[in-house]
Amino acid sequence: MAPLALSLRSRLTLWYVGILAALLLIYATLIFGFQYVILTRQIFHDEVQDIVTAEGLLYFDSQDNLQFRQNYYSRPQSHLLIDRLMEVQDLTGKVLYRSPTLHGMPLGGPLRDQEGETGFDQRTIRLSDGSHAMVISHVHTLQGRTMVIRLGYSLTPLRERMLQFLLLLLVAAPIALVVAGAAGQMIAARGLRPVKDMAERAEGITATNLHDRLEIKNPKDELGQLAAVFNHLLERLDLAFQQMRRFTADAAHELRTPLASIRTVSEVTLEQDSTIESYRDAVSSTLEEVARLNETINGLLLLARAEGTQPGEAQTDFSAKELVHEVLTVLGVLVEEKQITVREENESAVTNSIRAERSLVRVAIMNVLHNALKFSPSHSILTISYGYVDEKLTLTFQDQGPGIPVTDIERVFERFYTSNDRSRSSNSGTGLGLSIAKVIIDRVGGTIGFEASAVGARCCILLPSVK
Amino acid sequence: MTVAMRRKILIIEDDRRMSDALVSGIETAGYEVAAAGTAEEGFFLVHRMQPDLLLLDLALPQRNGLEILRQIRSEAIDLRVMILTSHNTLEDRVTGLEAGADDYLGKPFSFQELRARIDALLRRFLPPQSQKPVTIGDLTLDTKTRTASRSGTRLDLTTREYDLLIYLAENRGRTVSREMLAKDVWNETSRFSPIDNVIDVQIARLRRKVDEPFEVKLLQTVRGMGFCLREPVS
Repeated sequence: MAPLALSLRSRLTLWYVGILAALLLIYATLIFGFQYVILTRQIFHDEVQDIVTAEGLLYFDSQDNLQFRQNYYSRPQSHLLIDRLMEVQDLTGKVLYRSPTLHGMPLGGPLRDQEGETGFDQRTIRLSDGSHAMVISHVHTLQGRTMVIRLGYSLTPLRERMLQFLLLLLVAAPIALVVAGAAGQMIAARGLRPVKDMAERAEGITATNLHDRLEIKNPKDELGQLAAVFNHLLERLDLAFQQMRRFTADAAHELRTPLASIRTVSEVTLEQDSTIESYRDAVSSTLEEVARLNETINGLLLLARAEGTQPGEAQTDFSAKELVHEVLTVLGVLVEEKQITVREENESAVTNSIRAERSLVRVAIMNVLHNALKFSPSHSILTISYGYVDEKLTLTFQDQGPGIPVTDIERVFERFYTSNDRSRSSNSGTGLGLSIAKVIIDRVGGTIGFEASAVGARCCILLPSVK
Repeated sequence: MTVAMRRKILIIEDDRRMSDALVSGIETAGYEVAAAGTAEEGFFLVHRMQPDLLLLDLALPQRNGLEILRQIRSEAIDLRVMILTSHNTLEDRVTGLEAGADDYLGKPFSFQELRARIDALLRRFLPPQSQKPVTIGDLTLDTKTRTASRSGTRLDLTTREYDLLIYLAENRGRTVSREMLAKDVWNETSRFSPIDNVIDVQIARLRRKVDEPFEVKLLQTVRGMGFCLREPVS
C-alpha cells in the first residue's frame, strides 16, 4: 500500500488526535461505567432504607386486607426515584398488596426460592409495560403473618440520566478533538518551521552559490544537528566542485595547447607556397599533436574511471612483488637504457597479498615507477623496499634524481602538474600520471605520498593487504 | 585472389569527412567500397551490395548502430562486422561483441591499424604458418630458430626485440602505429600508460642493432604515425 501523501505536519497532528481520541474513549467508558455503578448502588441503598420505612406503614385493616398508610409521606430524596412500586405476597404466593403505581401489573411474578429471607435480594426486572425496574425483596412478619415485600423503582429516570450523560460525552469529545487537532497542527507547524526555512534556504543553493550555508539556530537540538550535517555535506560538495571546476579549466587548457599548435602549423603552411616536404612536415606535426591530445583524453578517461571506483570493487588478491616485477619487465628497457641498478630490499619479508583491483593498481605502480625512472640519472640506483605499517603493505620507491622540493610534495599529485624546471622539459608527459596513481591508490583504500629524502625522490605507497 | 574477386566493404558512418577519408584510404588499399550516412541507407546497401565486411559506426542519427547489427545477425546475413566507435570502455566492447560484431576498434584509431584489421578479418582462411625465412633486403628472419641476421651476420636480439622485429617484418612496407605495437607486441591493454616511452626506447635499441652497423637503413620512423620496416627507395 502506498503511504498516504500527507505532510509531516498533518501526520503528526493525525497521530496526536488519534491517540487523544483513543484516550478520550477509554476515559469516557470508565467514567460512564463508574457513574452507572455509583448510581445503581445509591438506588439500592435508598431502596433498602425505603423498604424499612415501608414495612412500618403496612397494616391489616378490619377486613383483613393489607393496607399501606398513605397519609405518612415518605420517599427517598432522589430525582432518580419517582414512583414507588410495591407488591406484597404471602408465602403461598397470594398477592396481599399491590401499589396503585403498578396499575395492576405484577412486580416480578411468582416467589422464588428463599426470596428475601436473608438480606435484601436485588434484581432488575422488566415490567409488562416494557419499562425496567430495580427491585429488592425482603421477608417481613406483620401481626404473626410472614410475607414477602417487593419494593422497586423504575430505572427509566436513571437510564435517561445516563443517556444524557452519554450524549454529552458524544458531543463534547469531537469538539475537544477538533480543538486539540487545531492546536496540534499549530504546534507542529511551529516545531517544523525551522525545517521549512531550511528547505527554502537549501532550495536556493545551486552550483553557483555552493558556499552558502544553512542557518544554525541552536546547535544542540535535532534541527541544529541536521543543519550542521547539511552544512558539512555542502562543504564537501563545494570543495569537490571547486576541484572539478579547476580541473575542467586545466583540462581545457591542456587540450587547447595541442589544438593551437595544430592550427598555427596548418595555417602557416597553407599560407606559404610550400613544398610537398613542408606539407608532409605539417601533417606529421598535426599527427603528433593528435597523439598528444589522444593521450591526454585517455588519461582523463582513466582518471574518471578510477574516481568512479568504490573501495572493495572487483577485488582480487595478488602478490605485490609479482606485480612490481611485471611492471619492471615492461619498463625494463628504460632501466637498461639508463643503466640503472634496481635494488630490492626486504622482498622476502613480505608474504601478504594486496587486496584491490589489480589492473588499476598496476597502472598506478607503473606510473610511479616510470616517474622514478624518468628522473633517475644514468648509472644511478633505484631502490624498491617492501614492508608493513599497521597491517598495510608498504612499497617505497627511492630514486637518485633531482628530488621534489618540499613545497611541491603535495602538488606533484595535482592534475597537469609538471615541475617548473624547464631543463627537464624533455621528460614532460601529460602531467596526469601521478594524479592517476593517487586517485587509484586512494580508491582502493591505500595512501600514496612523497617523503622528504636527502637525495632523490622517495615515494611511499600503502596498500590494503591480506594474509 | 583474382581481381574479379575484389572484396567489398561497406561503411556506415554519419560523419561525412570521416567517411570520405575512409573510402579513399580503403579504396587505395585495393577494396571495393561504398559508404552510407544513415542506418536506412546502410541497410539498403547491405542487401543490394552484399558486402564482405561492414564498418559500423555506433552513434548514428535515428537508429543506433547496435540495432542494425542485431538485425543483420537476426537475418543471418553472411557478413563480417567491425565496429568503429568513440565509446571504447571494456563494457562497450563486450556489448558490441555480444551483439555479433567480429571486431571492435575505438576512435580515434590509426588508419594503419584499421587496414591491418580489415586484412585480418577478410583473410577468411589463415595463411599457412610460414616456415620460410622472412627477408627484407639483406635482413633475414628465421621463424623456426627465432634468429635474425643481416648480410649473413647474426644479430644478437633479446626476445622482445625479436618479437618487435618479426611484427614489423610481417607488416613490412606498412607503417605500424604505437598503439598497434602496444597492443600486439606488448599486450598492454591500458590505454594510458608510459608504454609509448618504452616503445620509443625499444625501437631505438633495436635500430642500434639492426641498422647502425649497416649502410642501408631498414627501420624507419614515420613522423606522427609510427614505424616502418622496408627497403628505402633509392
